Amino acid sequence: MLSSLQNPRQVAAQLMNFGLILSTAFMMWKGLSIMTDSPSPIVVVLSGSMEPAFQRGDLLMLWNRNLFSETNVGEIVVYNVKGKDIPIVHRVVRKFGAGPDAKLLTKGDNNAADDTELYARGQDYLNRKDIVGSVVGYMPFVGYVTIMLSEHPWLKTVMLGIMGLVVVLQRE
Amino acid sequence: MASSQDKITVYNLADLKNTSDDAIPNYLNSLGFTQSHRLTDVRLALGYTAFALAAACFAWDYKFGFDSTKHLTAAAVALYTLLNGLLTLWVCYVERGTVYVGTAPSAAGGETVRISTATKKNVPTYHVTVEVTGKGGKEVVETVKVSRSFTEWFDGAGRFVAAPFQAMLAGSVGVIGRADPKRAAKAREEADGPAAYTPEMLNVLAQANVSVVGSAAEEATGSEAAEAKKAGKRRKA
Repeated sequence: MLSSLQNPRQVAAQLMNFGLILSTAFMMWKGLSIMTDSPSPIVVVLSGSMEPAFQRGDLLMLWNRNLFSETNVGEIVVYNVKGKDIPIVHRVVRKFGAGPDAKLLTKGDNNAADDTELYARGQDYLNRKDIVGSVVGYMPFVGYVTIMLSEHPWLKTVMLGIMGLVVVLQRE
Repeated sequence: MASSQDKITVYNLADLKNTSDDAIPNYLNSLGFTQSHRLTDVRLALGYTAFALAAACFAWDYKFGFDSTKHLTAAAVALYTLLNGLLTLWVCYVERGTVYVGTAPSAAGGETVRISTATKKNVPTYHVTVEVTGKGGKEVVETVKVSRSFTEWFDGAGRFVAAPFQAMLAGSVGVIGRADPKRAAKAREEADGPAAYTPEMLNVLAQANVSVVGSAAEEATGSEAAEAKKAGKRRKA
């Protein structure tokens, strides 16, 4: 293995193969972003506020283009609130006006009250541009891995250790 | 680049092929061939350009956000797909498993050889295709195809034995033979040799308590090595 370091082209090719795996994954993600016009076309449900429709750990596929009709009441949307990093998945329950300036109000199916509490200070409705996308498909439970990893950081260490071990063992 | 001291696992076909592939440039360059790296360089250029593009895309996305760089990102995705497609085409249709391109020294004729190798899954046979292009000319003068078992140049422990491997190349490709007449002559000798074991001879050998294992080529180098070892021991004693 180490002796292959003598040939710079071989090393460059091996590095390139590794780099291309990473960059291809990234560009596929970006391609999906461009296609759906959403900065984050796949999200994981983090709370139970949309039960029984979505549970924690469900993977949601988003679509952010209004090709045939605009975002309407009844659609489940993912939106960002200014000053908060975590996107929220809730249903549109009221809509005033039309077009890009329409005022939208959202509410979690499982919540008692609408989302005015969750919005930024002084904000009592959403605009179309706050929305990251409408949910068009979902995969149950698949996203639970990312929840586990972010809530129990030691799992990351364990996973890295296992991956490292596999790499070491496969070299032999 | 496994040198002959490195041992490989003889059951690992990738190891067998890679070690043999690495031995080809070693051998031919030592004969004075001038290696051309054009194929590899084009592949590396395509790959690294694509990677740089993805890295740049990551950088501007991280810095300026998605919405303000949307069109740039779309262009980058299209260009990346194109570059990656080109890279795939290059590897599949232009390189076609080429491991060596080089020009022979003018004393040996100055032709250009292009060697590609392949193995089939789970079959320990080395398929070598050598395309010889005439001096200056573009058209392929001759194409030599050789398929040999890896056992001819790997011993049981997985050590690469250079002599029979080099004889295989020198014996089957004219240009290489002219550049290395010694190995070519040996290869010719061995080509006449394998039929040499008649039943009577085998009997004699069996009585003499000599084991006959493997092909003639292996036997030839094996005995050489054994002699060398014995000689060494004697000297030490």
